[in-house]
Amino acid sequence: MKKILMIGWKTLTKPSGYYSLGALVIGGFVAGIIFWGGFNTALEVTNTEAFCISCHEMENNVYEEMKTTIHFSNRSGVRATCPDCHVPHNWTSKIARKMQASKEVWGMIFGTINTREKFLVHRKRLAQNEWDRLKANDSLECRNCHNFDYMDFTEQSDRAAYQHSTALASGEKTCIDCHKGIAHQLPDMKGVEGW
Amino acid sequence: MTINRRGFIKANAIAAAAAVAGVSVPAIASNLITSSDMTKLKWDKAPCRFCGTGCSVNVGVMDGKVVATHGDIKSPVNKGLNCVKGYFLSKIMYGKDRLTTPLLRMTNGKYDKEGEFAPISWDKAFDIMAEKAKDALKKDGPKAVGMFGSGQWTVQEGYAAVKLMKAGFRSNNIDPNARHCMASAVGGFMRTFGIDEPMGCYDDLEAADAFVLWGSNMAEMHPILWTRLTDRRLSSPHVKVAVLSTFEHRSFDLADNGMIFTPQTDLAILNYIANYIIKTDRVNKDFVSKHTNFRLGETDIGYGLRPEHPLEQAAKNNGKTAGSSTPIDFDEYAKFVSTYTVEYVSKLSGVPEHKLEALAELYADPKIKVTSFWTMGFNQHTRGVWANNLVYNIHLLTGKISTPGNSPFSLTGQPSACGTAREVGTFSHRLPADMVVTNPKHRATAEKTWDLPEGTIPPKPGYHAVLQTRMLKDGKLNFYWVQCNNNMQAGANINEEAYPGYRNPKNFIVVSDPYPTVTAQAADLILPTAMWVEKEGVYGNAERRTQSWYQMVEAPTGAKSDLWQLVEFSKRFAIEDVWPEELIAKKPEVRGKTLFDVLYKDSSVGKFSLDEVPEDRLNDDARDFGFYIQKGLFEEYATFGRGHAHDLAPYDTYHKERGLRWPVVNGKETKWRFKEGSDPYVKAGSGWDFYGHKDGRARIFALPYEPAAESPDEEYDLWLSTGRVLEHWHSGSMTQRVPELYKAMPDALVYMHPDDAKKRGMRRGDLVKLISRRGEVQTRVETRGRNKPPIGLVFMPWFDASRLVNKVTLDATDPLSKQTDFKKCAIKIVKV
Amino acid sequence: MKKINLAVIASLLVLAVLPMMYSLNANAADKETVNSLATLRDHTPIDVQKEPNRIPKVINKDIKQGRNYPMQPPVIPHTTRSYEVNKYNNKCMSCHSRHRTEKSQAPMVSVTHFMNRDGNFLAEISPRRYFCNQCHVTQLDAEPLVENTFTDMHSLMNEKSKAKSEEH
Repeated sequence: MKKILMIGWKTLTKPSGYYSLGALVIGGFVAGIIFWGGFNTALEVTNTEAFCISCHEMENNVYEEMKTTIHFSNRSGVRATCPDCHVPHNWTSKIARKMQASKEVWGMIFGTINTREKFLVHRKRLAQNEWDRLKANDSLECRNCHNFDYMDFTEQSDRAAYQHSTALASGEKTCIDCHKGIAHQLPDMKGVEGW
Repeated sequence: MTINRRGFIKANAIAAAAAVAGVSVPAIASNLITSSDMTKLKWDKAPCRFCGTGCSVNVGVMDGKVVATHGDIKSPVNKGLNCVKGYFLSKIMYGKDRLTTPLLRMTNGKYDKEGEFAPISWDKAFDIMAEKAKDALKKDGPKAVGMFGSGQWTVQEGYAAVKLMKAGFRSNNIDPNARHCMASAVGGFMRTFGIDEPMGCYDDLEAADAFVLWGSNMAEMHPILWTRLTDRRLSSPHVKVAVLSTFEHRSFDLADNGMIFTPQTDLAILNYIANYIIKTDRVNKDFVSKHTNFRLGETDIGYGLRPEHPLEQAAKNNGKTAGSSTPIDFDEYAKFVSTYTVEYVSKLSGVPEHKLEALAELYADPKIKVTSFWTMGFNQHTRGVWANNLVYNIHLLTGKISTPGNSPFSLTGQPSACGTAREVGTFSHRLPADMVVTNPKHRATAEKTWDLPEGTIPPKPGYHAVLQTRMLKDGKLNFYWVQCNNNMQAGANINEEAYPGYRNPKNFIVVSDPYPTVTAQAADLILPTAMWVEKEGVYGNAERRTQSWYQMVEAPTGAKSDLWQLVEFSKRFAIEDVWPEELIAKKPEVRGKTLFDVLYKDSSVGKFSLDEVPEDRLNDDARDFGFYIQKGLFEEYATFGRGHAHDLAPYDTYHKERGLRWPVVNGKETKWRFKEGSDPYVKAGSGWDFYGHKDGRARIFALPYEPAAESPDEEYDLWLSTGRVLEHWHSGSMTQRVPELYKAMPDALVYMHPDDAKKRGMRRGDLVKLISRRGEVQTRVETRGRNKPPIGLVFMPWFDASRLVNKVTLDATDPLSKQTDFKKCAIKIVKV
Repeated sequence: MKKINLAVIASLLVLAVLPMMYSLNANAADKETVNSLATLRDHTPIDVQKEPNRIPKVINKDIKQGRNYPMQPPVIPHTTRSYEVNKYNNKCMSCHSRHRTEKSQAPMVSVTHFMNRDGNFLAEISPRRYFCNQCHVTQLDAEPLVENTFTDMHSLMNEKSKAKSEEH
């Protein structure tokens, strides 16, 4: 066994005497494309709502809760899907988020939140992660659709127009400061600022 | 609106002008009236007009009008709080369409079943009523006349009605709408304890460590009790709340353990808990051996449908023996429930195993004081009596009963379902103080109290609520008087039974109501009725609390109380019109008298003079009859229960107290019955004494899970549950006329799971038809409302007079209690 | 003689017309009563289905509505869609609680909300008042089916006050 492994290793480390350099470069390039394409395709697949709710922790908790909210059903039918809010659009943040998500996959495999009760136990922490992220990026995923520059305050309720034209306009507040729990139920809000 | 500068100048200008003209302007703030003779309101207490919680409210009167109401701070029930309906009580009497004159269907000035409603005088109304009643009596005897009453009648009204029907007309065809509401609770109490009504009281709410809601959405239907439960849960973190229902509703907002179960499987869950208690060796053996015995109940008892229905044909024991049982021992009982394992029950009910175990543990743990509440989920159930029996089982197995916080507690829907319907006994089989017409001794007691000849009261139970509508349809019940309820909206399967019944040309239907309800619309004669504080009365709430109120305002001219109507109508009958000669011969002195003389004026009802009516009080009824009729009726009625564990205090006491919980012995109310120390009827040294049964023991019943009468199938693929909402009380005839309540909840929508809607190509707001084997109703889809049904079940409330969901429901009843199951039938939904 | 004739004719006319007027009045009354019978059903017969109106929208204008009497809980003048009030959190209190009103400029819950069952004031709103929606409701943009003739005590007082000042 050890012998076979050693032979394999030697073959890999030995300079190529059989294939041309060109073939190797081209082959490597093609392999790279295939690999990169596959990676991106995989990335894209994991960026769909269908993928998100393929595990029942997501489907039965957060997705089910979302169905009655305005981000799911509203007058114009513009719908937010899971990745719209939960996956950053720029590449580095996206990869960072994906690496975080591997923990969620771990959670699914080992059943950390496989019942509603377990999920509720972790809910505060999970929500806090998202609030922190959105706070840090000035609610970037909100602003991907809700652009401050194009808000018509006269179309908003008086309270909303007042808050948006003052606290939001001055940058004192960002979307997530006030709009928590708009798409999913809230955790225990004890100690949360503004509550 | 603040006073602006312009307004200020204007006010000054007026003052200047007034000064010139020599008119004195009050020295104090001109925009506020502060003089005490102007601002003074006359305040008085009354129980709330709505649910069985029995909150006390203060009613403010000015110039003969109710102008304000608020929660009574002195009342132990609500301590100053009201729910949104209660806060708007002030407006319920002032709907613009209050009826003020009797209306009779007429053509060319004569009664005509197919005619249009036209106003007539009270005198003419009673003429035609008496004529129709006498015709029916002459043609087919007492069984052809009937009355459908109410748990919203005052105690006195219910009592006067029982006397008129059972003694006067000698017909047991009197039943209250409470039959739809808590007949199964009565059946459960009588079967397990031999005496009706909860052993505990609302004080349990502040004492329990755990609450279990079995088919009760207290957050909406008993909001003030919910405030007490919430107070307990949130102020004491160790307290746990478990909520069971067939769909998610507002009570789940507080639930630590919320469970959605497949309809009807509550029976299996209850048996599983009993099994769990036994398997984990937590039976309170001392309690069980001293205070209980075990019985095996009859099974396969049918579904209370018409006898020709296939389900009744198939049932083996749906006859008289349906309620029978045989003694068994503990081991046999343990063996019976042993099949209800967590695996089996979880699979059957759809409730995860760990949730069932957590629920069972609340009951099993001897350190946890647990109170169970239930309302229509249990009672409106084709096995409602069983469900009641089964929940008592688990309280009895653990001895968690009759002590503070340990309480199996049935809540009622109507303000006097307990006080009037149950305690007075306005049921087709009952007499006051838990007595029944089938028992010769009980009949004799009633006849003696009423000073009537032996044999006056017929021994056979009359037609119960559902049977009344069937008999109307079949043309066997021909004179029918409906008071204080809206059964054409509230009863099940109106399409096939009640509506054709009311409109059957053989029948004459009288409906008494303050407002033109759906039921009034179906009547032949409508009588305008005084309501709530337009009359004096007594209500009894769900914790045995008896509360009284004085008349505070005049009814609109022309409207008369139910009591006045009943008693005044009795003047139209000579005793010879209604009693056979052999009965009169037993008591010749009644000859030539009217029912009014015999039943009311010359009986003990008439013995309190008008002098006892406080001079500064309104009392139109008493002053009209010439004696203090409310006191007379109450005192005569109270003699039935005094000394028989139903003791009531003297009438005048109730006008001073915020209610008292019976039995009231030596001026002291009873909080927990059957327990030594808190119940004066318990024998010293016994600890507990379930004295309702002769052996002093409560019964633990072995009863199985049996399926519902109608379940979804391929064509009718959804469960339909009906029910109520916070903002409206029952059929909405009062609350739909309060603009704020109407605008809070104007229409009855069908609540659906978003996926169920999507599957049928529907979305929120779509116009749809709910179709059952019996009829259809149109409404609109709600997918994100306060009720969140699971896939496969829809919920539609019945408060909406314009969308009669009871055209769709099934009139299957519990064969024991005869109460309808409004929570389960199969429907399909199609887009219109 | 002529005068007497005139009087006779006049009285005959009155006699003839009066019953007619009376019956006219009676007919009018009949109609009104009959038509008002099915008020909550928009006069639809029981065996006919009234076309369900569209689901009305919640009034979201933030304009305070007058109260019928001082003890009436104010109605909610804005939408509360997705506002959670459950054992984990109370969305209403994120604006209406004492320490949030300065920021939110929303009305603070009244002092009665701090009283427990025994009437003692607590440091935070009493849990018995936790579920706001038991007393406070939003209003939908729906026209009431039946008018309500409830009288405001203020209008009664004003009438009395006016009558009194006219006496002087």
